[in-house]
Amino acid sequence: MTTKTETSSNSPVTSTITRRGFVKVGGALFVSFAMPAGFSALSIAEYQTSLDPSQLASWLEIRSDDTIVVRTGRTETGTGMSAYYAQTIAEELNVRPETITLILGDTDKTPDGGYSAGFLSGATNLRKVGAYTYQALFNLAATHLGVPASNLSVADGIISGGGKNISYGQLVQGQHLELKIPIEGSRTKVDPSAFTGVVGLDGFTVTGEPPMKPVGKYKIVGTSHPLPGIPDKVTGKTKWSCDVTLPGMLHARMIRPATLGSTLISVGMLDRKQFPTAEIVKKNNLVAVVSPNEWEAISAARAVASTTKWTDWAGLPGSENLTKAFRDHKWDAPQTRGKAVEVNAALASAVKTISAAYEQPYVRHAPIGPFVAVADVRSDGSVTVWTHSSQSQGLRARIAHTLNTPVEKVVVRWLDHSGQYGRTTFGGDGAESDAVILSQLAGKPVRVQWTLQEDLAWSSASPGWVADIKAGFDSSGRIAAIHSASYSPSQQDPRFLGAILAGMPTTPPGGGSWIATEWPYDKIQNRFEQAFGMPNIAADSSNGGLRGNIMRTPGQRQQNLVLEGLMNEAAAAVHADPIQFRLDHTTDQRLIDILNATAKAAGWEPRPYPQKTARKSGSTPLNGRGVSIMIRENAYWVGIAEISAIPDTGVVRVTQFTIGVECGKIINPRQLGLCMKSGVVMGLSETLKEEVTFDKSKVTSTNWDRYKILTMEEMPEIKIVQLSRDDKGFGGGSEGANAVCMPAVVAALFDATGVQPRRIPLTPAYMTTLLKA
Amino acid sequence: MASELTLSVNGAKQVVFAAPETPLLFVLRNELKLTGPRLGCGMAQCGSCSVLLDGEEIRSCVTPVSYAVGKKVITIEGLPEVWATEKHLSATDAANTLHPVQQAWIDEQVPQCGYCQSGMMIAAVQLLSKNANPTVAQIKDAFTNTPPSPHLCRCGTYSAIIDAVLRAAKAMKS
Repeated sequence: MTTKTETSSNSPVTSTITRRGFVKVGGALFVSFAMPAGFSALSIAEYQTSLDPSQLASWLEIRSDDTIVVRTGRTETGTGMSAYYAQTIAEELNVRPETITLILGDTDKTPDGGYSAGFLSGATNLRKVGAYTYQALFNLAATHLGVPASNLSVADGIISGGGKNISYGQLVQGQHLELKIPIEGSRTKVDPSAFTGVVGLDGFTVTGEPPMKPVGKYKIVGTSHPLPGIPDKVTGKTKWSCDVTLPGMLHARMIRPATLGSTLISVGMLDRKQFPTAEIVKKNNLVAVVSPNEWEAISAARAVASTTKWTDWAGLPGSENLTKAFRDHKWDAPQTRGKAVEVNAALASAVKTISAAYEQPYVRHAPIGPFVAVADVRSDGSVTVWTHSSQSQGLRARIAHTLNTPVEKVVVRWLDHSGQYGRTTFGGDGAESDAVILSQLAGKPVRVQWTLQEDLAWSSASPGWVADIKAGFDSSGRIAAIHSASYSPSQQDPRFLGAILAGMPTTPPGGGSWIATEWPYDKIQNRFEQAFGMPNIAADSSNGGLRGNIMRTPGQRQQNLVLEGLMNEAAAAVHADPIQFRLDHTTDQRLIDILNATAKAAGWEPRPYPQKTARKSGSTPLNGRGVSIMIRENAYWVGIAEISAIPDTGVVRVTQFTIGVECGKIINPRQLGLCMKSGVVMGLSETLKEEVTFDKSKVTSTNWDRYKILTMEEMPEIKIVQLSRDDKGFGGGSEGANAVCMPAVVAALFDATGVQPRRIPLTPAYMTTLLKA
Repeated sequence: MASELTLSVNGAKQVVFAAPETPLLFVLRNELKLTGPRLGCGMAQCGSCSVLLDGEEIRSCVTPVSYAVGKKVITIEGLPEVWATEKHLSATDAANTLHPVQQAWIDEQVPQCGYCQSGMMIAAVQLLSKNANPTVAQIKDAFTNTPPSPHLCRCGTYSAIIDAVLRAAKAMKS
């Protein structure tokens, strides 16, 4: 049986359902994709390794027991995807989300690839998969029941009409049906010319326009479906990537170079009496101790490290000299956006201008669980890697590249682990390359567990930056033009440390920088933005220097501090209320609505800014408040900070934070609320405390006493405001919450003290220096 | 040198063969396959490896296994039984009942990545054993200022943890 399911009158692509045969027991409808034009059988085989190349991993299976399996290469990174994906597809299929089991991230069991940061494209895929499947089931039911499709309706997986009904499971009973749906795109591939070293980050995307349920009729999207993985995480049943054990597996601890640029002189001595089952494994500057016993690996690695000799190296500026190093650097041509000529003219003729320079040191992702990976590289060339990377297919492509092995030999299995906050989005960084190299050398499966010190010293980090911004006012006190220029090392170096140290192939580090701001002020027509990039600091060192990488709300987080910092400074310059000043510069009703709603929730009443009682000295606490906004991925964010600061000690406490978001249709209000609150914690942590420090040769902030993050006691009361609307699709609701914190707190300090901070983090040392200046 | 050590873990006697100075964490995870406690900092600075030792929270990443001999070790895998014993639940009820702290963690949807949450739940059980009715300020204080270090969560779930502790406190009183 082959029937074509017309998906919509104007769509050139269709889905095709085929009966591949009858089965005695069970039965299922498998939804996989039709091979795109120009796609060779070989490329499919590369994509789906361990399966029969003619039988792809299905995107979705409707089984005869009315259960549904959904597979996607995207993963749960702690932001709720596993709830949202189930809800999105359940909505299109008209089933309860509890009937859906998700299989995530394994390259040999999922069809699409794609990075876990890309929720919006992932959700679009799954909506379409659900919609195509729904149409196919509907047509099957019409034939089966002998009732015209127009007389059928579906509720909770049961199709009814003409006095008859049948469940999805009954419909596929005893059959093996296959629905092929159209796709485009490619798997993630290594491409040294790409700025992240790989292309195809989004994997395959579903094409065509199958009829989808109108948002106004949603019953499941918009409810607070729980995350399916939580009960097992709470009871200890979850198998995390750090829990993988294999027969004959060795535990490894790495011995890293003494500095960011050292090379190996000699490996230290391994005392065989003390550590009878430990072995040293090395390749160039990649040095490790392996043992069947984890504690022996740890103890022996410490002993060997203490006598291992490395060359000296001192090629870093020292973190206290970072801003000067940036100011002294000869920057390459920037990425630009906007109208340079008009902006220069408007600034020249402005009634008044203001300018400011902002800066932030390096910060890092700093998960609670350091990198870990298990690899099994066999003599037949097969490679299996157990990972918590956010980009399984990208990792797979990079591993194949490093080992110089065909990609179809590599399988990546994904498991839960610590959040990565962006550092594995491009499929790189991590312990996986250490693990595959050591497994290949040792001839056994190897588990590599980085230490916290190693993770805080050697993983990629979010680079420091400086920025200049200037605004000109017209005679009415409105901003007539803005010129901004940001300067930052690359945030696109996801290379494997292990491969660099071992001297094995990795993609070149990405260079350059990009303009990440989504412009929120449509009344400011004259704007000119520049983003200057440079390679890693100490890029020419043998170990790659300070590898820069993206981190939660990348680029925009930093640039938003500059733009919103300026907006607050500009409001003060013309004696305007900072919220009213923003309202005066936009006609975007979505921004106006969420700004007003959040201001109301925070109890914001207009008053002079900074307040009249502001002072820069004294031993009693001062209060202040500040605001910032951001538009990102179809979501509108507002943050309002209330702080308490003691000028004489420089101690700053955020006492209340109100955060508002309008991100189109809200999929899951509770999970969104949790992400908003936790995003505020991360954003305030960066605002108040975080700084990667380094001397001339190495990173020095290598434990939680030196790389400080926010504690529970430092968390303010957090209020959330959510606006959901049916007419703007889905927006990015999980990520951006952190990015409205920095400018709002900076503004609140200005409100309290009358002195303008322009550097993050707002530590007591910085604040006392600033206030005494 | 490795030696034979007898431990009491989650109410069961366990004989392990390990060097006495081996941190308890690695014995629990690698020998006893109790993977609830997880390695974080490895130096008692974060709390992700926390377990109860005779009812007191300890950091298993720095506690030698020999120190646990003769004491009762409880991990999150053993919390339901702790509660069942305390409440004298029947075997059938016990099989279907989580510790109220675990149930509260589910009801409040606390875990994001979840890596630190085993230690967070252990800290909550410890707090509620000493203060059955904590205020928000007391919860913040306990999770921040109890030696040897604050319990750290990088995802930023502190607010959900507070809600869950309050919920568990209520459930444990009823």
